[in-house]
Amino acid sequence: MEFRPILSAMLRNKTGSILVALQIALTLSIVVNCMFLAKQRIDHVNRPTGMDVDNIISVRSMGFGTDYDHDRTIDNDLRLLREMPGVISASHSSGLPMNGSGSANGFAGSPDEDASRVTANYYHVDERMLDSLGTTLAAGRMFRDVEIRRADNELLNRMPQQVVITQALADKLFDGEPALGKRMYDGLGESAEVVGILEHMYGAWVGWSDFDQVAMFPQRTEGPHIRYIVRAEPGKRDELIPLIEKTLADSDRTRLIRGVSSMEETTRNSYEGDFAIAVTLSVAVGLLLGVTGLGIVGLASFTVRQRTKQIGTRRAIGARKRDIIRYFLIENWLMTTIGIVLGTVLTIAINYSLASAFNTDQLNYGFLVAGMFMLWLLGFMAVAEPARRAAQVSPAIATRTV
Amino acid sequence: MLEMKEISRVYRTDLVETHALRELSLSVDTGEFVAVTGPSGSGKTTFLNIAGLLETATSGEYSLDGTDVSGLNDNQRSRIRNEKIGFIFQSFNLIPDLNIFDNVDVPLRYRGFDGAERRGRIEKALDQVGLAARMKHLPSQLSGGQQQRAAIARALAGGPSFLLADEPTGNLDSLMARQVMDLLEKINNEGTTIVMVTHDPELARRAHRNVQLLDGQLASPDPFSASQSTPIEADLQPVA
Repeated sequence: MEFRPILSAMLRNKTGSILVALQIALTLSIVVNCMFLAKQRIDHVNRPTGMDVDNIISVRSMGFGTDYDHDRTIDNDLRLLREMPGVISASHSSGLPMNGSGSANGFAGSPDEDASRVTANYYHVDERMLDSLGTTLAAGRMFRDVEIRRADNELLNRMPQQVVITQALADKLFDGEPALGKRMYDGLGESAEVVGILEHMYGAWVGWSDFDQVAMFPQRTEGPHIRYIVRAEPGKRDELIPLIEKTLADSDRTRLIRGVSSMEETTRNSYEGDFAIAVTLSVAVGLLLGVTGLGIVGLASFTVRQRTKQIGTRRAIGARKRDIIRYFLIENWLMTTIGIVLGTVLTIAINYSLASAFNTDQLNYGFLVAGMFMLWLLGFMAVAEPARRAAQVSPAIATRTV
Repeated sequence: MLEMKEISRVYRTDLVETHALRELSLSVDTGEFVAVTGPSGSGKTTFLNIAGLLETATSGEYSLDGTDVSGLNDNQRSRIRNEKIGFIFQSFNLIPDLNIFDNVDVPLRYRGFDGAERRGRIEKALDQVGLAARMKHLPSQLSGGQQQRAAIARALAGGPSFLLADEPTGNLDSLMARQVMDLLEKINNEGTTIVMVTHDPELARRAHRNVQLLDGQLASPDPFSASQSTPIEADLQPVA
């Protein structure tokens, strides 16, 4: 192969090549880091939720009339919802997971005041909440009907006696020890027995790193607000939404039904920022690759025009068309490779800086390898047409004196 | 060695048709040194391009070393240019970014010789033209005469059947021109056939015979060749 003479010719005429190699280096470092960040956002969005998000409907009710009776309304609403064809389960809840709104508190695995506290997102739910969310117990049991405190219970402001928590929360509270039967304490010295461990589910805030530390307590919310979590049979969700709204609205005129929506839509809204970042980064990557590709096309086209006589001479002394094409491909490959080598160092340095400054993950080197191949392919595609044009230069150019 | 029969070359545009060569017949024997002369526009460059397989004739037959090369495809023509023809250009046409060694190496790489073979041929060719000590120099570091000698080394290195020279001293002063002509004569004396296109009568006089072109055809015998040992009339007879 003719690497050495091509490289030495490049080094003698290096300004354009160095600029494009630097452009490739910068492109690689930005593209790889952007792709990595975009993939992290997408992975973040696609994390398994532990819930049947696609089939869940959320309904909010707000009592306002003087005759409004919170417990009676909840009883009636749940009866109506559970009787509706196409509904698998319906529960009341203080909130909807992954919608960006909820309550949190610090809990500990021991009554010691000095015990380290673990922040958990908590919900007040009923005995059917697991079916309504489509979550699964890893151990223990769900609440019993009799354990659910009604809204008129005078102990409503005190910590319930039972709690169901996620495995992630259990591991944090009890350092990986079995949690079932142990007590979980709040900051006021009250405690609840851990009666069930959920395999996995997410809480309210999609951007929170401890998003999977969730606790459920057996009680109703204090009126006049209540939310229902309704799980539909697959394919029935969209037809149930207007039906639920009408049925509940017609059943009780002392309250307002609003916000009947799918959990899928709510979740999508919660992840809007992540989607926007992923799309913006992807567009930036595309534009950058396009600009770099144009840079390579520009330099290659310029050098083809500049070297017309030289190409004609090479053809005259025996180069075939494919030798000319190969020359430009090798030249471009060398330039791209120099850029990629520099870019690899830069990519790792940028990732290291980002990881140090913002506590982001270390780069997955698969992205670097993918970026390298992407730029090699881009270089090849960008130089293909100028190289083809170079091969069309007539060898008779060599004998022209002007 | 080189035999052309009724070669014509017509350049066509939408408006005009130019007959650069009109049924030109010419043969050159092995070991000859032939000068092709003629005024500007007489068809010298077209003759050179066709003889060197740099372009194709519109009609006629052309044989090189007994092989008909008229109907060859682009790759085959490239191969023959590489193996059988050594080109010497008026402007030297050295590649400015490569040193002299690498310039001479260019056609040898296209030939597919291995490294040792190439090195041997390059050193021999540069030695032949007296530039062995300058092989690491860039063309810009050499005088015009040295550059042309380097170009001659490039033409010789592949061991061609003949050299095709296009105004080889056109860009040189008289001293350097004489040195280059001395070198060409020496190379010819060592057995290499040379066909040289020139408009310079002084230069043409040093060839074995002259062929004069006028309006794309053979003209009357060149007066400068009258003193040559080979009768011009015999040279200019149409090929049977």
